[in-house]
Amino acid sequence: MASRDDPVLRHDSSERNGALARTPRHHWVVRVTHWINALALTVMVGSGLRIFVAYPKFARQGESFCCWPAGGVHVPHWMRFGGWLAGARNWHFAAMWVLVVNGLVYLGFIYLHGEWRDLVPRRGWLRDAGEMLKFYLFARREHPEQGKHNALQRATYFVMPLAGALAVLTGLAIWKPVSLGALTALFGGYAWARWWHFMAMAALVILSAVHIFMVFAVDPYSLRSMTTGGYSERLSPESRNARPFYHLLPKWARRDRSHGARTSGGGTLPATAAEPGVGDRR
Amino acid sequence: MSDSRQDPRFDRIVERAVESLRSTLRDGADPSLVTRSIFDIRRRDFLSAGALAISSALLAACDAHGPEGSKRLLRFAERKNEGIERWLLRHTSMDAPKAGWRAAGESFPRYYVAKTMPVWDPAARGPWSLAVDGMVERPLRLTLDDLLRMRQQRQRVEHFCVEGWTAVATFWGVPMTAIAKAAGARPDARYVDFASFDDDYHESWDLESATHPQTMIVYAKDGRFLSPGYGAPARLHSPVKLGYKNVKYLTRITFMRERNGGYWSDQGYEWYAGT
Repeated sequence: MASRDDPVLRHDSSERNGALARTPRHHWVVRVTHWINALALTVMVGSGLRIFVAYPKFARQGESFCCWPAGGVHVPHWMRFGGWLAGARNWHFAAMWVLVVNGLVYLGFIYLHGEWRDLVPRRGWLRDAGEMLKFYLFARREHPEQGKHNALQRATYFVMPLAGALAVLTGLAIWKPVSLGALTALFGGYAWARWWHFMAMAALVILSAVHIFMVFAVDPYSLRSMTTGGYSERLSPESRNARPFYHLLPKWARRDRSHGARTSGGGTLPATAAEPGVGDRR
Repeated sequence: MSDSRQDPRFDRIVERAVESLRSTLRDGADPSLVTRSIFDIRRRDFLSAGALAISSALLAACDAHGPEGSKRLLRFAERKNEGIERWLLRHTSMDAPKAGWRAAGESFPRYYVAKTMPVWDPAARGPWSLAVDGMVERPLRLTLDDLLRMRQQRQRVEHFCVEGWTAVATFWGVPMTAIAKAAGARPDARYVDFASFDDDYHESWDLESATHPQTMIVYAKDGRFLSPGYGAPARLHSPVKLGYKNVKYLTRITFMRERNGGYWSDQGYEWYAGT
């Protein structure tokens, strides 16, 4: 990035101790593993769906399967990766190691470095999650202050590694149903292990889709904090009182609904000093 | 990105940036405003560039085989995976379908690569026999009667297809270990090739998988001799390899020092394909 040579940004970083200091939001290990994971997961999902197309249902031959349409399902071509079954399998069995090693590096890091504390559920989660939902549904005026991640984010970032672990274990179970027969039996046999593998993938895809949507809808600045680590508290969703779709509302509705909120570029900036409660948040 | 300089929009963006910088500095310079206005522009560019990159990547990935240069990397991964799979293989890990799982019966799919279903015609080709040769002390030529006289093994196993389906069936046949013993396979043989009369279909196996106790030369399935759809007169079957490694319409078993690929493994499917 060119920001190093940018006099304005350099000026900003020289003000590190001021109110506008940009503190590194995420450790570089987290940032690197995040993007490797994004890439590996995309390849795994695409190639996995191409593999799935070869037999897009779960029933053993001559049996029925309770929890899937008997005729199978169609997977759109744009979701498939690997070209044909063999190509997709080769990609799947190569990228799986990237996913596993990268995931272990990430989990090991957040364990040793203490970041796991930001992600595990804690007391009052339900109440916090309720407050976030109320805020997003316009039943609450101000963005709740819930630390680095709000309750909904914490739940997402906690469940994703679990779904990932389930995907890896069920994946091993269907890769080696004889050599690792005990693991396959644990999931109820090959057909059920394959179903759980699919469901773990579906969970990861849904959570990722929501995650990506929320990045663009409420916190596009997090793209920078997940890339260079740069972050400004002034631009946090809390400070901007950012809700998804909020910037699509007419201006009068925004002003009326919550003070000082502004999600997209315009002529003026929120008059921070005039707003009670904003300055004393940190 | 260097082309963006020729884009009139780029000039407008720069103009706006300079203008907002000037005005904010002139107005007494809350540096945050500088950052903010600069960043607003950068963000917009970043978002549109990002959206473009993502959508083009998606378009490129649509049903794609992936980059050409990745072939060697995928080959490397396949070799490493084979190492792990060989390390995981145990002659004591057996496939054992649960009693409640229904046998596939006639729902067991029938596959062959020839244009029409391969049927051995004794009038044209003489009586069928299975040759056992290569690195063996006593090359054999086994008729179906010979196979029936050898040690019979019956096993109910799950068949694992590369496509993702499985089918339960009971097979009758001769364990490969008995064949290897009868022919006197030499200790320096490392691989076994299984050839068929289904065109040029063949697949080679590692010796460890070929001598797994559940690897058999099968002549009957679900209480009946194999029908042409299931590989008559005899086929290879084992739950320790994916379906395409389990050669049907067998004609020849060759013990070898080196592997010699296979019909599907030469086309890009994994050679090892263990389960």
